[in-house]
Amino acid sequence: MITKQIIDSYIEKIPPSPKVLKVTLMFLNSGELVKAAQVAKEDLALNAYLKDLVNKPIYGFRNEVSDVSQIFGILGVAKSQQAVYNYMISLLSPAKWKLFKLNKTSFSNLQADLSANWQKILKHLNIEDKDIESSIALLPASIIVSEALFNEKIDDVNLLRSVNPIDLNTILKRLCEMDLFDICEQISKKWEMEENIAQIIQSSSGVKPAQDENINNLGKWMHLLLFYTLSQPNYIDAELNDFIDFQIDYVGDIYDDFSQLMEIS
Amino acid sequence: MRAVVRNGVGVFSPQGFLDGNNSTAFLSIDDIQATANLNVDMVLVSLKKVIFFNRNGLDAFVKMFLKVRKGNKATVGFCDYDAKKFEAIIKFYKNDLNFSLFKSQEIASLFASNFKNKNKNVLLYSTDKSQRAAMAIELHDNGHNPIIAQTEEEFDEKSEADNAYDVIISHTHVGQMGQTVAARVTGNAIIYTISSFLDAEIGNTFNIAYHNNSLNVGFRLFIFDAYKVISMNVHALNFFSKLASSAAEYNATICFVGLTFEKTPIAFKETLEDSGIMFFEQMDEILQNKELLEELGASSAASVQNVRPLNKVMVTELPHFIDAAVATIEMMTNSKAVKDAVQINEIKIDNKADKIASSIGFYGDIDGMVILIFPTDIAKKACALLIGEETDDMELILDTLAELVNIVGGKLKTLLLDQKIHVDITLPRTYPDIDSLLEITEFKKGVQVDLAFDNDKFLFFLTR
Repeated sequence: MITKQIIDSYIEKIPPSPKVLKVTLMFLNSGELVKAAQVAKEDLALNAYLKDLVNKPIYGFRNEVSDVSQIFGILGVAKSQQAVYNYMISLLSPAKWKLFKLNKTSFSNLQADLSANWQKILKHLNIEDKDIESSIALLPASIIVSEALFNEKIDDVNLLRSVNPIDLNTILKRLCEMDLFDICEQISKKWEMEENIAQIIQSSSGVKPAQDENINNLGKWMHLLLFYTLSQPNYIDAELNDFIDFQIDYVGDIYDDFSQLMEIS
Repeated sequence: MRAVVRNGVGVFSPQGFLDGNNSTAFLSIDDIQATANLNVDMVLVSLKKVIFFNRNGLDAFVKMFLKVRKGNKATVGFCDYDAKKFEAIIKFYKNDLNFSLFKSQEIASLFASNFKNKNKNVLLYSTDKSQRAAMAIELHDNGHNPIIAQTEEEFDEKSEADNAYDVIISHTHVGQMGQTVAARVTGNAIIYTISSFLDAEIGNTFNIAYHNNSLNVGFRLFIFDAYKVISMNVHALNFFSKLASSAAEYNATICFVGLTFEKTPIAFKETLEDSGIMFFEQMDEILQNKELLEELGASSAASVQNVRPLNKVMVTELPHFIDAAVATIEMMTNSKAVKDAVQINEIKIDNKADKIASSIGFYGDIDGMVILIFPTDIAKKACALLIGEETDDMELILDTLAELVNIVGGKLKTLLLDQKIHVDITLPRTYPDIDSLLEITEFKKGVQVDLAFDNDKFLFFLTR
C-alpha cells in the first residue's frame, strides 16, 4: 500500500535548498546575476554541475565555458534560475535507479534536453517569464519521486504491466491517488512558484486541460515536448517513454508548428 | 518493449515519434525473439499513440513481423491509425506489403478467431477489388457476415445507415493471414478451427502447450470445427489419435464437427472413433444440447479420479501461496488484508450468493490449483485498477478477474522460484457463481484461508 504519508515524505525530501542555493535563487529572482554568481561560487558541486550542464552539446557552445559568472551571463536570469532548480533536483537523484534505467548522466541529460527545448518553444511563443521557464524542471523532479514510490512495489508493478497495457502514470494514480502531474503541482507549491505554473503542468498531462486558453496552449507544447524527448532512444531504453499516456489528439493543432520548430522531417 | 498478450493477440504500443534512430530502442533483438516465441494467433503494432513515423521507423517492426510469421505463422500487422497514416504505410511498402493493416484493434479482432466476436454484420470496402474479396473470405471463415460495398459511394451510403452494421471496415489491408489452428473458448468447451488439407503440418500449427494447459486447468471438452476440412492423411490421423489418447488420461472428450468423408477414407473415421473421438454434423448439436454438454464434460470439469491429497511440500510452501494472493489483492484494492482463519478441509462457503470465483493451476516441481473466491463487490474493486473504473458488466469483471488471478499465478511462480521450485501456470478460469466452482472442487481437500480486506471477506483455497 502506498499511502498519502509515504508520498508526502518523498516530496518532503525534495531539497529545501541549502543556504547557498536559497541566496543564489534570491539574487537570480531579483535579476542580480553578478551577486548570484558570487554566492554560487561557494558551492563547488553547483559549480561543477553548471559547468557540465552548459557544456552539453544541446547548448551548442563551441568553446568550453567554465566560470560561474560567465555561465550565468550566457544563460541569463531565467535559464540560470532553471539551472539552479535542475541542480537542486539532481541532489535528490538516487544513486541507483531501479525502475527507470537512468543514471546521474542520463538524468542530467534529460534535464538539459527538456530545458533547452522548452526555452526554444518559449522563445518561439514570445514568452518571457522566469517561473514559466523554470516550470519544465518540475517534470524530472516528479520522475525522481515516482521512481521512489514505484520502488515500494516494484515487483507488483512489473507484474501488473506484463499482463495489462497500462501506463505507469495510471498505475501511480490508482496506487496513490496522485499522478506524475499532481506530484509536479505539489513540488511547485513547495518551491513557491506562481499558481499558473501548476495549471500549466496539469494541462501538460493532456487529460486535465485548463480553462485559460493560453495556459492550455503551453500545456499542449509541454505535452508534445515531453513525448518528443521521451522518444529519444536513451529515454526509451530508460523505460520513460511509456511512463505517461500520450494524448495524440490533444496536440493535433500545434503539431505542424512543433515539427517545424524542432525540424522534424 | 514487450507485446501485451490478450485473447491470443499480442499488441505492441509504441508512443511518440518513430524513426530510424529510436526504432531499435523500441524493439530490441531480445524483444523480437520473445515475440517469435509467443503462442499467439496475431501480433499487432498499434500506431494509436504514434504522432510521427517514417519508413525507417516502421522497418524494425516489419522485420519482427517476418520473423514472427516464419516462426509461429501468426497474422501480423499494424493497427489503430487514421487515413493519413494508412496512405503513408501503403506508399512506403507499395510493392512489399506482406503484412496486414487493420484500422482498429476491433477490426483486427474480427480476423482473429475469437469466439466473442463471432456473427458480426460487417460492411467492408477497399479500393482494391482483390482485397475486398480476401477480407470477405477471411471474415466469412471466422463466422461473420460480410457485406461488400462495390464502390466508395455505395460504402458511404451504407455506412450512414444507423445500426445496420456491427462493424464497418475501411482503410484495411489483409496480408498473408495466420495459419495456426485457432482456439476459442465457449463456456467450458474449447473449440479449435481446422481447415483445408490436414497432414503432418498439423503438428506444427496446433498449439499443444495451450491444449495441455487447458487440460491441466480443468477443461474437459475439446471440439474441432472441421467444416472446412477437405481431407486428411495418415499423419494427421496419427496426430489426432495420439491427442485422443492423452485426453483420455484426463477423462476429456474430443469431438469433430462437420467433417465430411468424401475425400478422407471412411476407415479413418473408424480409427478415430476407436480412439474415443466423437463425430457430429452440426456445432449446435453439441452447444445447444445441455444434457449432452454435461455428458461430454463441458459443464463439469471435475474428474473424481483426480482427487489427490495435499502433500508436505505444498503445506510447507503455503505462506508463499497466501503471500502471492494477498500481496496482489492488497495492491489492487489498496487495502490491508487480515487473516481470519485457516483450516484444512473441503471448501466451505457460508453464503453462496453474490460471489464469484477464479482459479489457476500450476504444475512442474509441484502441482495444484489456487482458487480465489470474492464477494462480487470486492471483485469489482480489485478489478477497478485494471479496468480503470468500477463496472457492473459481469462479463468484463470475470475477464478481468481472470487477469487478476493470472497476476497472482505469476507472482506465485516468482515466489516459488526463489525457493528453487519451478512451476508453470495454466490459463486462468473464472466461475460466475459458486455452484459452478463447487462442481470442480467437490470432494477435494485443501487449505482454506479466510481473509478480510477492509471488512470485505475473501476466500483463498489451495488444493490439488
